[in-house]
Amino acid sequence: MRNPWAETGNYKTSYRQDSTIFATYLEELSLVGLLALLVGLPFFLSRPQMFVVDLILIYALAVLGLNIITGYAGLINIGQAAFVGVGAYTAALLAPGLPFWLTIPLGGLAAAAAGAIVGIPSLRIKHLYLAIATLAFQVIFEWIVGHAPLLKQGGAIPMPRVVFLGYRVGYKNHYYFWYFVALALLVLLAFAFRNLLRTRFGRALVAVRDNDRAADAMGMHPGLTKIFAFALGAFYAGVAGGLYAYFSRAVVIEDYMLPVSIKFLAMAIVGGLGSLPGSFLGPAFLVLLDLNMEDFANWLKSLGLSYAGVDIASAMRPLTFGLVIVLFLVFEPRGLANWWRLVRNYFKNWPFRY
Amino acid sequence: MSYLLQLLVSGLVVGSIYALAALGFVLIYKSSRVINFAHGQFIAVGAFLVYALVVYLGANVGLALAAALALTAGLGFLVEKLFLRPLVGQPIISVIMVTIGLASLIDGLVHLTPLGGGNFSLPRFLPEGGIAFLGVSVSYPQVLAVVLTLVFLLAFGWFFQRSTLGAAMRAVADDQMAAMSLGVSVEHVFALAWAAAGITAAAAGFIVGTISGINLQGLVAIGLKVFPVVILGGLDSIPGAVVGGVIIGVLENLATGYLDPLIPGGGTGEVFPFLVLLLVLWFKPHGLFGTEEIERV
Repeated sequence: MRNPWAETGNYKTSYRQDSTIFATYLEELSLVGLLALLVGLPFFLSRPQMFVVDLILIYALAVLGLNIITGYAGLINIGQAAFVGVGAYTAALLAPGLPFWLTIPLGGLAAAAAGAIVGIPSLRIKHLYLAIATLAFQVIFEWIVGHAPLLKQGGAIPMPRVVFLGYRVGYKNHYYFWYFVALALLVLLAFAFRNLLRTRFGRALVAVRDNDRAADAMGMHPGLTKIFAFALGAFYAGVAGGLYAYFSRAVVIEDYMLPVSIKFLAMAIVGGLGSLPGSFLGPAFLVLLDLNMEDFANWLKSLGLSYAGVDIASAMRPLTFGLVIVLFLVFEPRGLANWWRLVRNYFKNWPFRY
Repeated sequence: MSYLLQLLVSGLVVGSIYALAALGFVLIYKSSRVINFAHGQFIAVGAFLVYALVVYLGANVGLALAAALALTAGLGFLVEKLFLRPLVGQPIISVIMVTIGLASLIDGLVHLTPLGGGNFSLPRFLPEGGIAFLGVSVSYPQVLAVVLTLVFLLAFGWFFQRSTLGAAMRAVADDQMAAMSLGVSVEHVFALAWAAAGITAAAAGFIVGTISGINLQGLVAIGLKVFPVVILGGLDSIPGAVVGGVIIGVLENLATGYLDPLIPGGGTGEVFPFLVLLLVLWFKPHGLFGTEEIERV
């Protein structure tokens, strides 16, 4: 007997049933609950707390894009921050003339175009060589921005305050407003991400990742598929960039340099490559770790544990960051998403063990 | 004319540093197919070890260099045992990320010492001045850089061609399965490759220290410059690392010398190697001497 509230066995008899998104009512209910929680969250948080939550959501968007490129398509991308930067600079250039709900998607499109160009070498090269090509893109992006008078040579380009439906977003509600914009975009794009694997293009991505020659033999075009992966992942990054530009109220090159690209990769790994919950857990974990490390370093300093010429804070941050990456890779390569899965399955199957 | 010659000579010096750094990088890739993103940090550790031994312990420069070489070899050995060994058989992305994590970890450890921030320079141990010919002047540290690089390259060449361990390393690089079945310890060779990479990195760091000041960012940046070098030379080719290093060094200096005045803001030397990298990837993906991958279904 099929229980509509809990999955007590596999009762699927047709392909249509097998491809449903929600297996039980409980899953639908928990999604609605999660959304309600996210919408209600700002009413309980203070302004500084909102800053952190906003940051996590925007990073999650960029990490989602990275998870398409690196997680689904298996193309190692060491230039995600540059794609985010393309989106941010596009938004910054268009912001004086256009409203934000146009500049952010346009930033995404500009980044997608950049992604398609960066993806072109993937027609010929693979694996490590491709990873190095994305690294080259990152370096060249930084150099171009650093030398373009239009982009203030990497200096701060201020972003205007926005007016939405006749309502001017000011200092007090800045983080609250952008929280809802980021949340709306994130829900939309996360939904697309989740459904990508149900489409022809998404399945082609995974097929090309697993064995591109076999995929070629099955009639897929591995090169075009890879370029598509880059363009789509970069689109997510560009949208994140546009949001980040408005959110931080200025565009500075430091936010889009190589260390940030590495941070995105670390977030994807810590969260779990190619996983949707991981794309939220990874950024949340690393952002909170980074903030707590600052407090921890200050606490160490207050204990008198600092000596001449050493800044504990600048040591603790890379130290813990590196340690987290290494420990996760060695002990939990599937990332936080795997812990999430274990916890969820425990409750799903309760009171049974499996 | 002498301007061009001067650029060529300083390019050769920079190139020999790149060649040494790339040599270690290629050694690791050739034997274990690992791309080491922490190579710049290895170079930094080598340079700072020499500095610390000379300045804090008052050691003789030669002695300090020898000790630093041994210590970084140990570091490479340890890194392989602790971090790379558990990841054998994992996807490439994991292996790349573990070296990136390692880079960050070493950065943090260096920052815990007073050497993390600021510029340092080794005490002068060579006479002032230099050699001048054809209107080009070469300082003694620069001469030392080229000579040391040659010594290391010859030593490694001898090691690979003549010693049993070197032969074992070449065998593993050639065909892991065949080497294993003939009784070569692959694990041993991997660890050895990392130790050798540590040695070359420390040597490169020391040379940077004799020519100019050392600071963490500058040394780590050399680790990044290794990428264009090895792509140009071929990721798995030792002669390629040397030739690529010299070519990239010379090109970088020529770009700085001739293109910087034309471009406002300058800094073309920083980006030019990466443009070369992209061009090589587009037209000759396996570099000058790399083995072409032939794929069969």
